[in-house]
Order: sequence, then C-alpha cells, then structure tokens
Amino acid sequence: MTLKSKLMATGAAFLIATGGMVYADGHATHPETGETLASDQTFTYRDLDESPSIDPGVAEDSAGGDIIRDLFEGLYNQDASGALIPGVALSHEVSEDGLIYTFTLRDNAKWSNGEPVTAADFEFGWKRAASPELASPYSWYIELTTVENAAAVIAGEMDPSELGITAINDTTLEIRLTQPLPYFPDMTTHYTLFPVPEATIAEFGDDWVKPGNMVSNGAYVLTEHVPQERLVRERNEMYWDNENTIIDKTVSLIIPDENVALTRFLAGELNRTDVPAGQFPRLAEQYPDDIMSVPNACSYYYTINLTDTTNPALLDGNVRQALSLAVNRDVIVENVLAGGQWPAYTFTHWATAGFETPETPIAAMDQAERDAKAKELMAEAGYGPDNPLSVNLIFNTSESHRSVAIAISQMWKQTLGVETELANQEWQTFLETRGNQDYEIARAGWCADYNEASTFLDLMDTNSGYNDAQYSNAEVDALLAAAKTSDNPQAAYTQVEQIISQDVPIIPIYHYAAAKMLDDAVEGWPYENFQQKWYSKDLYIVAE
Amino acid sequence: MFSFVVRRLAVAIPTLLVLVIISFILMYSAPGGPFNSERPLPPEVLANIQAKYGLDQPFWRQIVNYVWGVVSSFDFGPSFQYKDRSVNDIIAQGFPVTLTYGFWSFVVAVSVGVSLGVAAAIRQNSWLDYLAVGISVGAQVLPNFVMAPILVLTFTLWLGWLPGGGWNGGQWQNLVMPVIALSTSYMASIARITRSSMLEVLNTNFIRTAKAKGLPMRRVIWRHAMKPTILPVLSYLGPAFVGMITGSVVIDVFFSTGGIGQFFVNSAFNRDYSVIMGITILVGALTILFNLVVDILYAWIDPKIRY
Repeated sequence: MTLKSKLMATGAAFLIATGGMVYADGHATHPETGETLASDQTFTYRDLDESPSIDPGVAEDSAGGDIIRDLFEGLYNQDASGALIPGVALSHEVSEDGLIYTFTLRDNAKWSNGEPVTAADFEFGWKRAASPELASPYSWYIELTTVENAAAVIAGEMDPSELGITAINDTTLEIRLTQPLPYFPDMTTHYTLFPVPEATIAEFGDDWVKPGNMVSNGAYVLTEHVPQERLVRERNEMYWDNENTIIDKTVSLIIPDENVALTRFLAGELNRTDVPAGQFPRLAEQYPDDIMSVPNACSYYYTINLTDTTNPALLDGNVRQALSLAVNRDVIVENVLAGGQWPAYTFTHWATAGFETPETPIAAMDQAERDAKAKELMAEAGYGPDNPLSVNLIFNTSESHRSVAIAISQMWKQTLGVETELANQEWQTFLETRGNQDYEIARAGWCADYNEASTFLDLMDTNSGYNDAQYSNAEVDALLAAAKTSDNPQAAYTQVEQIISQDVPIIPIYHYAAAKMLDDAVEGWPYENFQQKWYSKDLYIVAE
Repeated sequence: MFSFVVRRLAVAIPTLLVLVIISFILMYSAPGGPFNSERPLPPEVLANIQAKYGLDQPFWRQIVNYVWGVVSSFDFGPSFQYKDRSVNDIIAQGFPVTLTYGFWSFVVAVSVGVSLGVAAAIRQNSWLDYLAVGISVGAQVLPNFVMAPILVLTFTLWLGWLPGGGWNGGQWQNLVMPVIALSTSYMASIARITRSSMLEVLNTNFIRTAKAKGLPMRRVIWRHAMKPTILPVLSYLGPAFVGMITGSVVIDVFFSTGGIGQFFVNSAFNRDYSVIMGITILVGALTILFNLVVDILYAWIDPKIRY
C-alpha cells in the first residue's frame, strides 16, 4: 500500500468513525440526507413559564416534559410519527394473560457520570415516584398504568417496595399489571416512568436537579438553569447514541409575553416560538416557510353541570342538544381562532392513534340543518321567543376564551334566542367554581396523557375525578370498562361517542392545533407526532 | 437620633408581624389553592402533597410554624409551585437581578430627573423649560408596558443592537432596555417635583438675600437652593427606590430577566403561599428600612428637623 492510499484509507476510516459526516468547506453534512449542516448547532426556543419541576418523578407539565426527554431516557422513545422506538429498552415480551411485561434493556446505556443504567434504576424511579414521601403530583400516572399495588402504595397503605416492578438483573425489568393494557408500552414514554440516579439523589437530596449535581441518562446534560430566565442542556458524551446526535446545545428561554417572543424570533434570537392568538393568517402569509400548524392532543369543550345545582332547563336533553347544534364550529375555528384548529363533534381528538371518528348525526348535517334541528328541539323543550332561555357561561380569564364565548353566545342568541350571561374568573377561582359544580356551563380543555382514546373518554366515567358535568350513564361506564381489556376497543369508543353526542354532557367545540413559528433551518421536527413529543437529539440545523 | 433609630426598628418588628398575619389570612381566604389545576388531583395524591407541605395542619399552627421557621432559621419554606426550589433559592436568585436593574434605574431616574427639573426651574418659561416639561410629561404618560415593546421593536428588531431580553448574567446589553423602561416614569415624576420645588425655593426670602449679596447664580443654586429643593424629592425617593429594587412584573415579563417581580405575580396566581409570603416580607422589610433611611436623611439635610 502506497503512502497516498494509506492516507486515503485512514481518511475513510476517520469519516466512518465520525458517523458518516463528511466535511466540505468547514461544514459537516447530515449522514443520511447529505444536507450541509450549520456550524452552530444550538437550538433555542421559547417557553411560556418556568416548569414546576425538572425531576422526572415530580414534573407535571408538558414544557417540563420537553426538557426531561432531553435529559433522561425511558424504556421507549417516540419517533417522528409517534411510533415507539427503543430507548433504554431494546424490546419487551408480554405474558399470555397480558399482565406481565418483561423488558430487555440495552447494556451500553450509561448515566452522564459513566455508571451503567440498569433495570434497578427504573425500579427505583417508579417506586420513588409512587411513594407518599415524594408526594409527586403525577403519582396518579403510575396508578393509570395499572401496575400492581400502585393505588395502595400511593395511599400509604403499602410500602413502595410492594409496587409491581422488579429488576430481575441489570438488563431485565419485570412489570406486573393488574389488568391487560394494550397501550402500556406507549405509556412508558412519559417522564414519570423514567429512571433516576439513586446515588445522586441520596447525595444531594432535593438539590440533585441543579446544574453540577444532576446526573442524567438522556442525550443531554443540564449545564445552566436560571429560573424564569433560561435552561441550557448540552450533549451528554456518555449517551449511547451520542455519535448520531447533531444538536450540540438546546436552550429554552422563558418569555412570558408571546408578542415579545415573536419579535425575538423575527430578530433571529429564537428557532421556535408560539404563534400569538389571532396572528396565524398574517404570519402564514408573511413567513410561509417558518410557520407550522399540526394536530395537538387536546380538545376544547364546554361542560354542562348536570347536578341539582344547575339551571333546571339544562337537565333537559333537548335543550343541551339544541345548544350543541347551534354552535357553528367552522366559524369558531376559521374566523375566531384562525390557527389551524379543527371543528370538534367528538370529545376524542380525531388524530388520536387507533381512533376512527364515528358517524354522529350532528357531524353529518350542515350548519343550516343543525340550526333548524336546534330550533325544533328548543321548541319541544318549551323555549322560544316568548319564553327565552337564560344561561350562565363561565370561563377563565383569557382573550381567546372570551372571543370563543362571545361568538358562541351570539350564535345561541341568533339561532335560539338564548340569553347568555358571560362571566370570566381568575384561574384558581374558576377551577374551584367548576370543581364544586357551582356553574351552569363552563369552559374546559383536556389534553391526552397518552395516545389512545381512553385518555379522553375516561372523563365520561361516572367515577372520574375530572367529570365536572357529573355525568353518569351506566352504559357508558360498562363500555369504557370493557374497552380497557379489549384488543379492539374502537367499537366501544364509537358507541361512547355516539351516546355522549346524544346526551350532551359536554359540547365539544374544537380540537387543538399546535401553531408555531419554526425556523426553516431546523430540520427533523416530528410534525406527525400527535403528542408533539420532540427530542433535541432528532433535530439538526442546516446551513442557510 | 440613635434612640430614634432604635425606636423605629423596634416598631418595625410588630409591623412586620402584623403584615405576615394579614397577608396569611388574605391569602388563605382567596379561593383555590396551590395544588388546584385543570386536572384535579386524586384525593390520596392531594393528601400526600398537603402532608408534605404541612397544609394539613390547623390554620393557626401553619402561621406559628411559618413565623418560627423565619425567625429561628431564616427559612421561608419550599415553593409549592416550583417544586425544585425553596423560597430562599428563589429570592437569592431573583433579588440580585432585580436589585441590579432597579439600582441603575434609580441612578438614571434621579440624575436625569433632578437635572431636568433644576434646568427647567432656573430657565422658567424658556425653550429649555418647555423641553424639560415636554419630556417629563411624555415619559409620564408612556407607561412601561407601552415603552417596553417599543424599545424591543426599535433596538432589537429594527436596529439589531440589543438582545430582546434575557439576563445573561447581567451583561450591560441586557440591562439597557429594562433600565430605560423602568426609569422613565420615575424620572418624569422626579423632574416635575424638582421643578416645582425649585421654583418655590427660588422665590423665598433667603434666596433673594443671597442674590442681593451678589452671589453668582451657580453658587445660589448649589449652596442655598439645592438642599431645600431636594426635601420633597427625597420623600418620593424612599418608596420609589423600594418600588424599583423589588421588581416590576412588566419589566420581568417583557425582558425575561428572571427577577422577583415575575415570581411575585405568578405566586399570587398560583396560590404559591410560601413565595407570596417570602416576597411580601422582603418588600415590607425594605419599605420600612428605606422609610427610615429617608427620615434620617431628612434630619441630615434639614437642620430644623430633630427627632
């Protein structure tokens, strides 16, 4: 081999070793797409507020989840379409009765201090998150997985060591459920079920989440955290897939005002920010390459109080149906919100995995037919021009909730002659009023905890703690219970949606969209991911 | 003087205690609680959290425990909302930020405000007077929540000179816009008070005597007119200084400084009881302290005042 060919061979080996990235004009290129990468791989985005916690066991909000998914890695991750891909776990097996899950973990997963990530770290993380001592506001999520003894551990009736999770050896984790749950593996992408470093927590106590103390197993490590200002995470050299990670640094900046955030985005300080209410059409026209609107796993609806503290007229099913029919959802999403939202005739978001939006009479009609039907039902209920109905509608203080409420009250007035008294309340006061059924009609919103229809429809269960309408229908309860153990629950979900469309304990109004400004140099964004679970390690910035 | 200071400090303690008790009662009588959310917590989870933070105790015991924690170990408790931090952490991180931009705003407001006021008074009814009055009226009617976005649009988006927000360890580039936005309305008030006070002083007998002695105008102003002019300004500056250094939610929201103003307002919305109490006590203590400082300065400037 000549010197020249030796050099060429060495160069080729180097290129392979650097993950296939080739260098041209000082810039790397993407190993798969061949796009030229920007020299500065820093992704900066806006958050509305400081997250309550970045401790996986204690965290409770989705913005905190974005941070935690960079810092920690659970059993499985989600890919750009929301499908499961290996995280720390490579695969799993399920027992025949569907109750025992055995996960096989990779042996090259490491904490940022170089220690291996083992099944025991998951066992510790789950037991810690369920323990009354930690008092995690998300401990109920563990109960939702139906893992053995979760309820008793959370209630303090059993020791956390009794929780149905056992590390068989370093790379084998066994989880025992009390009922078969087909979507259980999907639930493991949620941060409450992530591993945490026991030795670090023992050493620093509550301060373990601070930069310098925190040891994590995700693609990034925490390097700076100034509450209410910024949080910086940088590449974790110990991460098993660090070689294929392109973004070097992710910075989240707390910018409470969305218009200021937009200005800073336009000035080039941010790669991603939210679209301020009502500005989607203008921005879409001016910055077509930088705007996106994708389904977001939440539904917006009005809940109707069905207890004896309500307006007696609302106990009449015809009145509730008429109110629902008279809401012109197209006007709400196209003219009032104009942010790419979808009109809702079902409670479950249309984009939920495995969910087929069922046929309902209300969805099949056009608005003129709905209005005619609404008038008919209202007349049957004994209300009309001579005897107009008056209702009370409360919402929490927000410009967008106000706009929707005003529009709907006008629709009710014009179509049905209903007089609506609107009242906005400060957030905490509103929650208390609604939770105590001290209302007639109230705004509500619900976001999916996992990508399956039961995350929405379980609210319609008589015993759900979130059933603010206090709706109770034995048939719905039975269908929801059956869906839990069914391999194909769609039929049950279809029936539940049809029943609630008839009973109208809630009026679905629209399905959310996530409207964002995203720098067109940022690639790899998981547009198709319904829960908008994104990982910095999957993004990259191309040279402009 | 010494006994006056001791007396005032002695009164400060019961004052703070009353402040704590009233704030505690008001806070608890507001509807809702720190752990309410769109998604109500299951009762057993809520019970665990309430036990962890001592909210399952009777009301009187919570007040006693709180006051005891503050007095015995200067511990303001954990934040109920920001669960990774204690109130001491929040104040230790946010207060220096607020203090920094508040202090510089104070310096700007006083130096520009007093200069404008004095210049306007000694050249009364001249173009300088009209200009100074124009600037101060303009600054007064332009609230900081209008000023802040105008500054961001101008210096960040159009000129690209300054970052649109953030603190970045207190770099001067990050300080400029918060200081301008916070100081302008204070500056305007100081200019107006200084101007009217100076005009009043310039018409007094002792100034006429000084002029009659043939003293140059500069000497008359600096030697004789300045001290009495500053007295009414001083009574304004005490509370203004506390206002500036204890944070402005507008500044914190627009410029994302990480100061305590934002924490204070969020804590009220979130019913984060311990943070509300911690910052209330901080602001209360500073108000008492700076009112005392103003009283001492009064006696120093005006020999007629004796305590």
